[in-house]
Amino acid sequence: MINLTINGLEVKAEEGWTILETAKFYGLEIPTLCYNEGLSPYGGCRLCLVEVGEKPNTKMVSSCTFPVSEGLVVHTDTKRVVQTRKMMIELMLSVAPNSKTIQDLASKFGVTQMRFKPRNEECILCGLCVRMCAEQMDAKAIGFQNRGYKRKISTPFDVRSEVCRHCGACMYICPACELRCHGPNPDTNVCNACLTMDPTCLDTYDELQCWMYDAGRCGTCVREEDEKKEASQDSNKK
Amino acid sequence: MKNTNKIKSTSELKKIIKKQKERSKSDDKTKLIVSAGTCGQARGSMEVIDSLNKTIKKEKLEDTVQVKVTGCHGFCEAEPNIILQPHDIFYQHVQPEDAEAIIKETAVNNKILDRLLFTDPASGEKPKSEENISFYKKQKRLVLGDNVKIEPTEINDYLSIGGYGSLAKVLDTFSPEDVIEIVKSSQIRGRGGAGFPTGVKWGFTRKAKGDDKYIICNADEGDPGAYMDRSLMEGNPHRVLEGMIIGAYAIGAHEGYIYIREEYPLALNNIKLAINEAKKRGLIGKNILGSGFDLEINISKGAGAFVCGEETALIASIEGKVGEPRQRPPFPAVEGLFRKPTNINNVETWANISLIIDKGPEWYSQIGTKKSKGTKIFSLVGKINNTGLVEVPMGITLREIIFDIGGGIPGGKKFKAVQTGGPSGGCLPAEKLDLPIDYESLTQAGSIMGSGGMIVMDENTCMVDIAKYFLNFLRDESCGKCLSCREGVQRMWEIVNKITEGKGEEGDIELLEELAQAVKDASLCGLGQTAANPVLSTLRYFREEYEEHIRKKKCPALVCKEIVSAPCQYTCPIDQEASVYIALTARGEFKKAVDIIRKENPLPTVLGRVCHHPCESNCRAGEIGEPIAIRSIKRFLTDWAIENDYKPSSETKPHKKDYKVAVIGAGPAGLTAGYYLNQKGVQVTIFESLPVPGGMLAVGIPEHRLPKDKLDFDIQNILNSGITLKTNTALGKDFSIQDLFDKGFNAVYIATGAHKPMKMGIQGENKQGVYQGVKILRLANLGEELPLGEKVGIVGGGNAAIDSARVAVRDKNTKKVYILYRRTRKEMPAYEDEIESALEEGIDIQYLVLPKKVLSKNGKVTGVECIKMKLGDLDESGRRRPIPIEGSEFTIELDTLISAISEQPDTSYLTPDDNIKTTKWDSLIVDENTFSTDQKGVFAGGDAVTGPSTVVEAMSMGKKAAQSIFHYLEGKTYSPEYKISRPSMYVEPVELTEEEIEEAKRPEMPKLSVKKRHKNFKEVDLGFNEETVIKEARRCLRCELETEDGKKAIGGEND
Repeated sequence: MINLTINGLEVKAEEGWTILETAKFYGLEIPTLCYNEGLSPYGGCRLCLVEVGEKPNTKMVSSCTFPVSEGLVVHTDTKRVVQTRKMMIELMLSVAPNSKTIQDLASKFGVTQMRFKPRNEECILCGLCVRMCAEQMDAKAIGFQNRGYKRKISTPFDVRSEVCRHCGACMYICPACELRCHGPNPDTNVCNACLTMDPTCLDTYDELQCWMYDAGRCGTCVREEDEKKEASQDSNKK
Repeated sequence: MKNTNKIKSTSELKKIIKKQKERSKSDDKTKLIVSAGTCGQARGSMEVIDSLNKTIKKEKLEDTVQVKVTGCHGFCEAEPNIILQPHDIFYQHVQPEDAEAIIKETAVNNKILDRLLFTDPASGEKPKSEENISFYKKQKRLVLGDNVKIEPTEINDYLSIGGYGSLAKVLDTFSPEDVIEIVKSSQIRGRGGAGFPTGVKWGFTRKAKGDDKYIICNADEGDPGAYMDRSLMEGNPHRVLEGMIIGAYAIGAHEGYIYIREEYPLALNNIKLAINEAKKRGLIGKNILGSGFDLEINISKGAGAFVCGEETALIASIEGKVGEPRQRPPFPAVEGLFRKPTNINNVETWANISLIIDKGPEWYSQIGTKKSKGTKIFSLVGKINNTGLVEVPMGITLREIIFDIGGGIPGGKKFKAVQTGGPSGGCLPAEKLDLPIDYESLTQAGSIMGSGGMIVMDENTCMVDIAKYFLNFLRDESCGKCLSCREGVQRMWEIVNKITEGKGEEGDIELLEELAQAVKDASLCGLGQTAANPVLSTLRYFREEYEEHIRKKKCPALVCKEIVSAPCQYTCPIDQEASVYIALTARGEFKKAVDIIRKENPLPTVLGRVCHHPCESNCRAGEIGEPIAIRSIKRFLTDWAIENDYKPSSETKPHKKDYKVAVIGAGPAGLTAGYYLNQKGVQVTIFESLPVPGGMLAVGIPEHRLPKDKLDFDIQNILNSGITLKTNTALGKDFSIQDLFDKGFNAVYIATGAHKPMKMGIQGENKQGVYQGVKILRLANLGEELPLGEKVGIVGGGNAAIDSARVAVRDKNTKKVYILYRRTRKEMPAYEDEIESALEEGIDIQYLVLPKKVLSKNGKVTGVECIKMKLGDLDESGRRRPIPIEGSEFTIELDTLISAISEQPDTSYLTPDDNIKTTKWDSLIVDENTFSTDQKGVFAGGDAVTGPSTVVEAMSMGKKAAQSIFHYLEGKTYSPEYKISRPSMYVEPVELTEEEIEEAKRPEMPKLSVKKRHKNFKEVDLGFNEETVIKEARRCLRCELETEDGKKAIGGEND
């Protein structure tokens, strides 16, 4: 067993575990997006960043790919982590503001502004589909093309793949193109309507009315616009 | 006969080395060593080699003269270059046709060809040999130095300089652990950029579990402007191999890879040859030199992705996977290539190893700073005189590299910044020039060592544009795996791009900073973690430049096209649309052109003659040839308007409002302010203390430059629009500011100029016969008798000095006129063509002369004692300081001395009640945006505020003040509006014939012959005729059409 600390808590991990796996085992929440238990870790979305090491020589690493080691010191929610994570969500949101998954993340982590020009794409290049296709469906029909800002996901040579069986797993696992956000579409492109830290749904439904008994968490209900209320919440946040 | 047998033992190798050393010693042939790396070849060294060989054959000198084809000598600026041994002569820029002279004269007859020697850009000296050239003097070429000694394709050459001797030493005497200890104690750190201690890294790999281990040489050099690795691989490949063999022995690796980019064909070729040769001689392969140690070295070609320089991406690439970095740990030392322990070092690191073994770690660790040892190769490029590869000890300052080795900035321009470490590095400003360079100091200053790129930038570089350039590179070269790097860099590029287009907003800088920090923190590999550096370092040192772009829509370096549009219009203080009236002139539409001029300029006839034309100084045509003669085109147009009686509308504007404004001073600032106020319907009265309006235009500029009738034409046009002028009425004498308010004026504009001469501050200045330049010019302009003697000396180097001299030379009494100036002609602030005209007229300009004392007899001037000056070292502005030469005093006989050094405002008219503050130079203090003084309703401008400046600057202030005063009258607050520069119309460009483009040349201004100028004030410059002016206007590059707006306006035909 390997001994390490997460947020000051002394924990034990199996040899070969990642920080994320260890944290999960102990019930510590680290947000993820490109991570899926059934697939190999990728470390592309940078959402699961944690701070490792001791001050002042700490660094930020993606917990889904970083292996635990003896004596490792991990912090999952430092100011630096929180700020960087928010920026990552803002960046994702700017690429695919119509993804419900990302809008939910924005709400959950208090991303209330989106300062970049939205691109309204349906892909955030998290690579879940590529790994799904290769690792679970054993097809390898799709992959990454190009580098940098020209990177995209496609079939080889952009032609219909002969190995694709149209299983739809790629779409099933996609956080951007499948589940669309149908909430209000304000100027800022940040919806923030559901899943905010405040129980906003209660404005419209009370707990008993929520069919999932999870008012404000699931995101199915949409808050009615109440500008006055919103304004007072805004000023409270400040 | 070449010996190609396998060397079976270290003792045999040592014998061979000794034999080769003797061979090269006994070789007494004259050697012509030609630099033929990729850059040398690109500049024609292969042709030179060809030509040299042919000449040798022709002259039958095969037995005495030999051409050696070596790798790069490092001095790119001097390519192709040749070193002659044993003569020890360095020839630069050698052409094939020089071959005969070099062989016949220098090689055979020892005669030095002066024209082929290197000329030092700072001192002008022509040193003969390599070691006396400033570029090489301060270098310590431990690694690169061997490039000139050997032909890279000849293993025997490498052996003859002791090559592979270190390998023999290692195999003979050291255990692998010993080698690691030696490398550790030499304290060498990785030259690839991050600076990890090499010995420690080797130790990790040695200790890692597993029998199969690898070593890799990282030759994936991808930074723009960095090529030191290429030069080593091309010029001395065996040295890299020797380092690798020793490293593999120490680590316990039996297979090595050299990862080299496909774009380096010569390096690839030479390293391949070297590997084959080394294999043949038993230096690579099974049982090396009988030691029982095996090593194979393979080559892996990269396709040129920048990210593949990152070690985990490089490993993936060798493995045949997509070149993307992966999480470390596990580090390559534990799990690297094919999941086996792997040690990666950069080319330069490997090349240092044999040196450390040979000379010992103690010797090596003496070089450099406390934490960074040895030498580092930098590729010194950009705006620098001596471009090239420089190898210097760690701890040398940037100043030494840039100014001593690099020879400073070309064209006398000012140093602005140096970018180190490639795209992931940062820009360091002039304050950091004295920074001793090592890994830590550079990181602390916000940059990195990187692989050693060093890009020098001068004052014409826009730092926002530089940040954009590197971001553009990185958004392409990011592998795209991490969101932070892929999306973050793209978004940073978008923001910076927006700023360079003049669309920046408040908050952009803060967002950039926040984003940059996130990209740095969140990214996986070194590329992403440093991708924000170009932005962070330029923001750290050049933040005000970003702010200028965002708030004022200005690009001080005139680089950002979308902001600047046409530099002529952009740099014009009164926003004259030069490119538009030039375009109209090219089409012969003179009326429209005149309208465009008059729109923004109430004194066009004057400015067509005397403007200091920033438009021409910044004209893009001037960057590649000569600038368009914009001022002369304007002069032609305004003269054409007078000749053809094309007058501006003189109808009096109805006084819409009952506002009355008093303008004090009828100079360019006062006239312009009055004109624009009047245009807005304000009643304007201008008060002038002199008998004539025009200020310095009337009494400061002599008539041979600005004829009175031309000045009067402009002034009359202004006055005719309904302005009242009162001459001979002086503030302080005839009225006070309070009087004006009492008389019902609502606001006052003070533009009294700077007419008070400054004293020279030398002994005897008050003697009879010493005059002030302004006084002489005023007397001459008012047609009065000048108090000049026969021998007149003028002190100063500005336009006033030249004007005074040219007035003096025209006076009936004078026989000899001198100008005494303390620097050289190059530094003289006066206009170049004025200096030229003064010389034509026989004025004796004495440079590097400083008057120390006025000599006199009976109170009258008899001469002046001067001291000679010399130009000292370059200061940071790139100019050389004048220093007096002790004991060089001499006397010039004179009867009149005119001081024309400078003027200052005379504000003695102010009373304490006026409540107007002045600076210690007696200039008025105003708000920089509203031009308002502390006294309500009193505004000021022109030279009275700025001190002596130019006509067009004074007009610009008058124009802006008119806006501000009008706002004040209306009871509104005024804040200036900033917009990107755009013309009011886009004129279809003219088509030029091939012939025309070929012949296009700036025409010379026709001038009155010197004889006809004698003792009179006829205008000297005669102006262009219609044909010349159209031809010149057609030469314009039409920069304004290169903006998006411009392209759209003319239908996108322009690219």
